[in-house]
Amino acid sequence: MIHQYKNNGFNIVLDVNSGAIHVVDDVVYDSIALYEDHSKEEIIDELSGKYSVEEIGEALEEIRQLAEDKVLFTEDDYRDYIIDFKKRPTVVKALCLHIAHDCNLACKYCFAEEGEYHGRRALMSYEVGKAALDFLIANSGSRRNLEVDFFGGEPTLNFQVVKDLVAYGREQEKIHDKNFRFTLTTNGVLLDDDIMEFANKEMANVVLSIDGRKEINDMMRPFRGGKGSYDLIVPKFQKLAESRNQMNYYVRGTFTRNNLDFSKDVLHLADLGFKQISVEPVVAQETDSYALREEDLPQLFEEYDNLAKEMVRRKKEGNDFNFFHFMIDLEGGPCVAKRLSGCGSGTEYLAVTPWGDFYPCHQFVGNEDFLMGNVFEGIKNTDIRDEFKSCNVYAKEKCRDCFAKFYCSGGCAANSYNFHGDIHNAYDVGCALQKKRIECAIMIKAAEALSEAE
Amino acid sequence: MKHVTTLNTRRLQNTVKKGGCGECQTSCQSACKTSCTVGNQTCEQTK
Repeated sequence: MIHQYKNNGFNIVLDVNSGAIHVVDDVVYDSIALYEDHSKEEIIDELSGKYSVEEIGEALEEIRQLAEDKVLFTEDDYRDYIIDFKKRPTVVKALCLHIAHDCNLACKYCFAEEGEYHGRRALMSYEVGKAALDFLIANSGSRRNLEVDFFGGEPTLNFQVVKDLVAYGREQEKIHDKNFRFTLTTNGVLLDDDIMEFANKEMANVVLSIDGRKEINDMMRPFRGGKGSYDLIVPKFQKLAESRNQMNYYVRGTFTRNNLDFSKDVLHLADLGFKQISVEPVVAQETDSYALREEDLPQLFEEYDNLAKEMVRRKKEGNDFNFFHFMIDLEGGPCVAKRLSGCGSGTEYLAVTPWGDFYPCHQFVGNEDFLMGNVFEGIKNTDIRDEFKSCNVYAKEKCRDCFAKFYCSGGCAANSYNFHGDIHNAYDVGCALQKKRIECAIMIKAAEALSEAE
Repeated sequence: MKHVTTLNTRRLQNTVKKGGCGECQTSCQSACKTSCTVGNQTCEQTK
């Protein structure tokens, strides 16, 4: 299976099953499109108006060579492998701890409904958090690296518990030969020197929520009284980013129908000095006024294309930044097993509510149909776990023939559930955007590689 | 090759034998929690 496309002046051919990427000239590009279901004579006949017979002959020979080298037209031999892989016993390696179901902002698109997750306001106690870490260690088998995200609502509203849990984790990791990687997701309102110092010492990553331009951020991320949060958080985020040497953090925004020109928000964040940026499409119900619609896709594609072009330009100038959704690791990325087996929600990854209930991930918290158990008794509803365990690229009709399957791993189960009532489906607008982002990410790599070669 | 430049990529076929150790991050947890971006993850074995 191949995927070929043109972007920013490059002709790109992705051999999906091997992961090989070829930048080709026009004659090869056109020949590849015909190669599988046309004879050599037919291809020459069809293309001879555009190219010389000699050129077409050269192109076909190079294509034949690539196929022989197993970097073009390779077969998908992974299906049985992944099904067997997914049958392995489940271990848990990551928890999302909902430290506070409360928030000091009132963001309009919040899936947690101002932190309450369709429930009551609550803070996680140290005892619940400790039991969660004990559960994680006990259920992690031989996996050494364990991830714990301090999430909310807003976790800084309950920061002493965060500190105490980190101290407990550091003590326990020595005893059990584990390595905790803690992360913190915050809106920045309460961020102060004390929290920054602690985060820099203990957090492998911090996620700083901001949407971009002041008017965009303040429209969707106000305080309860309506006042915007931009002016308060920007200097604090800049300080924290610098204190982390511009690494191991993300400023993370959400774009909605209110800012379809979101590339301006990405560039605004870059112009504020941030080097690690993620601005992502909102996940909303179709009925929400700010939800992205299918009709918005052409504009959004153009935004991604323009952003990718601008990033190539800035990189040449030595003024580059990372955009999370364009980051792609071609030489050292994950193995096939990882790529095809899904995100791990409900199996390797669980969300824990302030009172200790387990859900498959933070997006399902509050939906009682997905309540899996709790930190004191463990996983009680194994049917839910098994349903998530069966979720992989080959279990999803829409993913099987999609070129993006090795890069998105079948997409987000929660998105699929929100739009189709089934975790084994896929959210179509999300898929379209994901595919576009992969194309842009590969184009950037191609531009970098060819620029280095020059 | 005259008409083709192939980028350096990890051949996915070659990851089948030794892959699947599971030490890598869960795929939705690195930057942002509502997007699956497995393609950019670093393999713990190649660090």
